[in-house]
Amino acid sequence: MNRLYDSMEPRVIDDGMLKLAVGEQGPQEEAGELAKQEGILFKDVLSLQLDFRNILRIDNLWQFENLRKLQLDNNIIEKIEGLESLTHLVWLDLSFNNIETIEGLDTLVNLEDLSLFNNRISNIDSLDALVKLQVLSLGNNQIDNMMNIIYLRRFRCLRTLSLSGNPVSEAEDYKMFICAYLPDLVYLDFRRIDDHTKEVAEAKHHYSIEELKHRENLMQARLEEEQARREELEKHKTAFVEHLNGSFLFDSMYAEDSEGNKLSSLPGVSELLEAYRDKFVIICVNIFEYGLKQQEKRKTELDTFNECVHEAIQENQEQGKRKIAKFEEKHLMSLSAIREELEMPNIEKMILECSADISELFDALMTLEMQLVEQLEETINMFERNIVDLVGLFIENVQSLMAQCRDLENHHHEKLLEISISTLEKAVKGDLDEDLSEDVRALFVDKDTIVNAVGASHDIHLLKIDNREDELVTRINSWCTRLVDKIHRDEIMRNRKRVKEINLYIDHMKSELDNLEYSDILD
Amino acid sequence: MEVLREKVEEEEAAEREEAAERAERARTEKMTRPVEVRKEETTLTQETLRDLEKKLSEIQIPVSAELPAFTKDTIDISMLPVSYKTNTPKEEQLLQLADNFSRQYSHLCPDRVPLFLHPLNECEVPKFVSTTLRPTLMPYPELYNWDSCAEFVSDFLTMVPLPDPLKPTIKREEKVLPKKYTIRPPRDLCSRFEQEQEMKRQQEIRAQEEKRLKEEEERLMEAEKASPDALHGLRVHSWVLVLSGKREVPENFFIDPFTARSYSTQDEHFLGIESLWNHRNYWINMQDCWNCCKDLIFDLGDPVRWEYMLLGTDKPELSLTEDDSGINDEDDVENLDKQDEDKSFDMPHSWVEQIEISPEAFETRCPNGQKVIQYKRAKLEKWAPYLNRNGLVSRLTTYEDLACTNILEIKEWYQNREDMLELKHINKTTDLKTDYFKPGHPHALRVHSYKSMQPEMDRVIEFYETARVDGLIKREETPETMTEYYQGRSDFLFYRHADFGPRVKKLTLSSTESNPRPIVKITEQFFRNPAKPAEEDVAERVFLVTEERIQLRYHCREDHITASKREFLRRSEVDSKGNKIIMTPDMCVTFEVEPMEHTKKLLYQYETLMHLKKEEKLSRHQVWESELEVLEILKLREEEEEVHTLTVSIYDTKRNEKSKEYREAMERVMHEEHLRQMETQLDYLAPFLVQLAPGEKLTRWQAVRLKDECLSDFKQRLINKANLIQARFEKETQELQKKQQWYQENQVTLTPEDEDQYLSYCSQAMFRIRILEQRLNRHKELAPLKYLALEEKLHKDPRLGELPKMFT
Repeated sequence: MNRLYDSMEPRVIDDGMLKLAVGEQGPQEEAGELAKQEGILFKDVLSLQLDFRNILRIDNLWQFENLRKLQLDNNIIEKIEGLESLTHLVWLDLSFNNIETIEGLDTLVNLEDLSLFNNRISNIDSLDALVKLQVLSLGNNQIDNMMNIIYLRRFRCLRTLSLSGNPVSEAEDYKMFICAYLPDLVYLDFRRIDDHTKEVAEAKHHYSIEELKHRENLMQARLEEEQARREELEKHKTAFVEHLNGSFLFDSMYAEDSEGNKLSSLPGVSELLEAYRDKFVIICVNIFEYGLKQQEKRKTELDTFNECVHEAIQENQEQGKRKIAKFEEKHLMSLSAIREELEMPNIEKMILECSADISELFDALMTLEMQLVEQLEETINMFERNIVDLVGLFIENVQSLMAQCRDLENHHHEKLLEISISTLEKAVKGDLDEDLSEDVRALFVDKDTIVNAVGASHDIHLLKIDNREDELVTRINSWCTRLVDKIHRDEIMRNRKRVKEINLYIDHMKSELDNLEYSDILD
Repeated sequence: MEVLREKVEEEEAAEREEAAERAERARTEKMTRPVEVRKEETTLTQETLRDLEKKLSEIQIPVSAELPAFTKDTIDISMLPVSYKTNTPKEEQLLQLADNFSRQYSHLCPDRVPLFLHPLNECEVPKFVSTTLRPTLMPYPELYNWDSCAEFVSDFLTMVPLPDPLKPTIKREEKVLPKKYTIRPPRDLCSRFEQEQEMKRQQEIRAQEEKRLKEEEERLMEAEKASPDALHGLRVHSWVLVLSGKREVPENFFIDPFTARSYSTQDEHFLGIESLWNHRNYWINMQDCWNCCKDLIFDLGDPVRWEYMLLGTDKPELSLTEDDSGINDEDDVENLDKQDEDKSFDMPHSWVEQIEISPEAFETRCPNGQKVIQYKRAKLEKWAPYLNRNGLVSRLTTYEDLACTNILEIKEWYQNREDMLELKHINKTTDLKTDYFKPGHPHALRVHSYKSMQPEMDRVIEFYETARVDGLIKREETPETMTEYYQGRSDFLFYRHADFGPRVKKLTLSSTESNPRPIVKITEQFFRNPAKPAEEDVAERVFLVTEERIQLRYHCREDHITASKREFLRRSEVDSKGNKIIMTPDMCVTFEVEPMEHTKKLLYQYETLMHLKKEEKLSRHQVWESELEVLEILKLREEEEEVHTLTVSIYDTKRNEKSKEYREAMERVMHEEHLRQMETQLDYLAPFLVQLAPGEKLTRWQAVRLKDECLSDFKQRLINKANLIQARFEKETQELQKKQQWYQENQVTLTPEDEDQYLSYCSQAMFRIRILEQRLNRHKELAPLKYLALEEKLHKDPRLGELPKMFT
């Protein structure tokens, strides 16, 4: 087929071509005339057909944001590209082109029907994003690996598949293999798969499928586990106490502390270290648990606040709706009365009455809104105070716990120093343990060196603890300010929106009335 | 006095089957005065005895003025068994015993009501009450327990009130009619104002008066309820006493046979008990009834409290130790008895036939399957199922007044109707009729309330919405509107209201179908469709058909208080220059909560308008179809009311014609099968063997002769049969020929009817001839085979055992 167009000059998609196509395929007859009058915006187009146009490269389609159906069949396209912005696409036809690899479809998450019939594709992949895929046409390509079909198992919605005309389809086992590995498939190569075939296929490939399933399940389980772990961590992070439920902080203290590690090989130090570590971890766990508890508290506080605000707004909206409904009822009656009234002075009087009604409604709605704003203001302030208090309390307690950590560290430092000094004395005396390594021995040359080493280790430890504490405090504080800001901002936005809405409505009512007046005068 | 009229046999026996064990038939009397328990303490001498006897024989016991229990025409006496018409000697003896007992009783207790011992039965023969009871077990589970059994009996009894013995004479006062030419009253010269004031005052007074009167009336009504009964305590009534003990009856209680209600023995309605009987014995209450039945002790074995008539047949419950006085007392009675008889005289066997209630009779329940119960301000009529052709089973009529003249409302219950009608409720004051249906009507009707069956009138029809494709719940109609309510539709429609204008007069003959009322306005409301954004989800659309306007109101977004609106107007099709207008901005008035770009476009509006126009057409069609459906429903309802076919359960073998036919066919087949079997077992030698002496062994010669005889007989029979068929065949042929001849002769003068007759005769005759011919041929074919078969059989017959030997 492609050969036919070889003689023609390859083209690219340009504005002219698009306009022409849109005009041709757009609304017809009366609607068409209207469309011509107004012009059609590309982003309003839902379906576009660009077939038999000898297109070489897909381009200039970014304006068609809302396109649902795109036909690019029977061209000479070599690469799938330029479709990234068409995220609403449901139906994509790229058959009878010269495409060699599947690519550039990662943003088309809504795609349900994809046709790549008669291309030069040799491998099925890069379709991971198309979770809604139902129909896949890959006939007349160069797919030759049967195992490639297993890739299609991930598409749970896939019901129709065509693969005829590929090297794969000549395999003896082709049909059975596909039926077995894609059990949800209904149509293969445009034919319905009957139940009998399915049964036979399943029986035939029973073992390999079971194995595959097992592997898939394992993979799934692992993924889920990973997911759960990530969620857990996320939860801890929102409580600002991540990694505090174990020895993570303690380990990190010694991770960069070369001297400390060296010193730990001194006799008596390892026991000391063990005890120190245990105590330290206990405090960390305390902080962790306390953090989770506080997080829970903050969450309930926030939930209650949100709920109350929501209720208040709902209540207020209901009142507004009632007022409007009442007004509309009356307004409709008076409008029709005006239409039927014949005498000019009467009409004028009635119109005046009507506009008075409108302004009354405006006042009422605005009063409601102002009332709500005041009420919410108060509530928000209260909430702000409470949440700030909560955060302050949390910080205070964490700091005191951290201080305990520091005390421990200090204590440990003193003990370590003592041991070091005594070891130094031993070293001076020359009865140092034989099994100490050279690095360690190097520390015990004089008092300054050893004291410096111990001090450096101590400093690193303290720094780590300080850092952790600072991180926690800054993060929670910023969270708090962000939250409060957001609440304020949302409230302001809401208020503005409501005021705008009311104004819009009132304006509409007034202009309607004016129009009426105008048309009446004309009549 | 109030006497029961009972169809004693059937229902009593029916109830007996349950109550036989424990229940005692209680004959009781409500007494005004407490019974004085007397005891003869003094020992009797021979003279006093004789005196007593003389005295006793002189006492005339007033036979209770019972009406005969049956009117003669209801029961054919001649069909009744002998036991109904005569008394056995034992029964006679019992009657004498009873007479004696009665005499003693009236001697001892002269101020008590005479005993009810041996009323006349339907054949005017005195029978002792206990012998009228015959415990019978019935095959109906309903009769096994007292409550349903009593209900059955109460349904069966019909109460006929006796004339009031105190008969108040009713006087009617005649109203004096105003004379025709009375002079007019003098002119009224009072001030109007004063009058009005007066009126007001009067009205107030009247209102107060009315209130007072009302209260008075209420009080009167109250009083009426509790008005002292002149016959209080004089009425005698029979009811059933069930004694505790057997069959898990925890305590004694009464059953009122008319209402089937149970009462505690403490109930104040029962003033006292005169006597009790069951099928074994008769007891007189000797206890004091000053406190109604509350203090009575139902220990029938205690002779102090319950004086028995027959000794020792069975002592139901003798919890107290027999004291001497009791025995003495008993002895006295025995001594007084002049009859020379056993100390224990057994109750004779019941003279009553064992009761049989056919399933039909059981289902029919009431006599003639119909019963009327009158209540205060209400009347309940009951019918057996299938008795009324329209399936009516009960009707409750409520009245406004006590005299039951002004009907308030009527409720009619139906059963087994094919149109599933269950209840018809007619309110006479508003004239509103409401029909209730069970699920299963072809139009899924649930309730239909209406004033007239004419279309386009006020009516409400409710449907079983799950049975309908369109999910319609209710359709309300008035002469000018029609409102429909829906549920569970995929297009979220839940309300459609159509206003109709006055019908345009057409010159042609207009019926409702050809000329529907013009639709002025259609309002449709929709639920929120969660799949669409609120500003595109229409909440209400109004088609103003005559004004060519369409109004849309969209759903309100969650955080908004106003909803978008859109109104389409259809103005002139052609502008001032004569160009065709497709769409102009002023044809669509829009209010949008959040103005959007694409909706401002004319194209969008045009498309929306076109879509709406289509929808309008559909909606109009829908309304029109609804009207048609109403017509159809009305027509169907009328037909159903006229035909009112009843459904018959397939398990109802008697009423279900089909199953009956089937069963009968089956029976016929069975019967034929049976006959055939009989035939095969037929002994072909029997007639010949009879000639010989039985038990003797056949000689060879005899056997041969027998066989020959049998065979020749069979041959003769075959020939006869062939001849018979041949004869019939010839006869038919001849007749046909005759007929044909006759036809040839009279062909010209024949009427078409005659000709038809002739032709049908011919075809039938031909058919018969053909059949006969076939039979003849078949017979000819089969006869030799049959003959051979018989010969073979005879050959093997063991009785002719000699034969084979002879031939071998």
